[in-house]
Amino acid sequence: MDDLPPAPDVAGTSLDGTDVFTISAEENAALCRSTGVEPAADGSAHPIYYYIATQVAMGKTVAGVCETCEFDVEDGPMMGSSGVKFEGHLKVGEDYKVTGEILSLVRKKSRKLGVMDVLTYRLRLHPAAGGDAVAETDNVWVLPRKELAA
Amino acid sequence: MSTATVNVGDALPPFAIDSVSPDAMREWSVFLADPNPIHLDVEVVKAKGLGDKRINQGPINVAYMMNMLMAAFPGCRIEAMDSKFLDNVYEGDRVVASGTVTAVEGNRVSCEFTLDVDGRGTVNAGTATILI
Repeated sequence: MDDLPPAPDVAGTSLDGTDVFTISAEENAALCRSTGVEPAADGSAHPIYYYIATQVAMGKTVAGVCETCEFDVEDGPMMGSSGVKFEGHLKVGEDYKVTGEILSLVRKKSRKLGVMDVLTYRLRLHPAAGGDAVAETDNVWVLPRKELAA
Repeated sequence: MSTATVNVGDALPPFAIDSVSPDAMREWSVFLADPNPIHLDVEVVKAKGLGDKRINQGPINVAYMMNMLMAAFPGCRIEAMDSKFLDNVYEGDRVVASGTVTAVEGNRVSCEFTLDVDGRGTVNAGTATILI
């Protein structure tokens, strides 16, 4: 690793969003059916909206997050893992906003992928009207650094 | 299942998708506001050396596993869930989400689960706690 340049210092970069994300009943129904289930009748949205809402309404696009990490999105970021904690059901018709930040970007060598940067970021989904987060997610992406391959 | 009937070691009923649909990938590119062509265009997948089939978006695979958990415990709420992406899911794949109860404390059930593709094995694996 000593011969590799360090990963960009991006920890702490804000991913706070300004857009409001609303889970529409129509989209929730289409999403549920696309995964083989019917939408819930009690007004709760599919819980995978933790991922969708935070990605869509965070303060940067996927390409923008990659750019912050000095990585070209065309080089193919890969999802490594996704974790979430819910404080309640996500609701159809509810307005949400997103806060978050990059936690770390760590350069590693892997036998399979060569040199890669492992990006970890945290996003929280809040009621747009204010209040504590209803979901918090930590996502890990792998950014293969082909240009640093031996 | 209810807490009275849930025991450590119980297998959760599997949830299957018989053939992963490229139409769903097209819908999800809109849901995710992410028109990455590896989910939409076979020629791009080939050009990138990633195979010859469109690649399912990772969050769809998580949704399949959530569906399995919610079907196993009707009316439940997922409290926490972690999953690792181990391999891609491609259009036409048959995928099966399945799981096992690892702990029961009051109304909190812990599980481990996998998503498996016929012929290729586990492509996603993780753990969850469910409030039932």
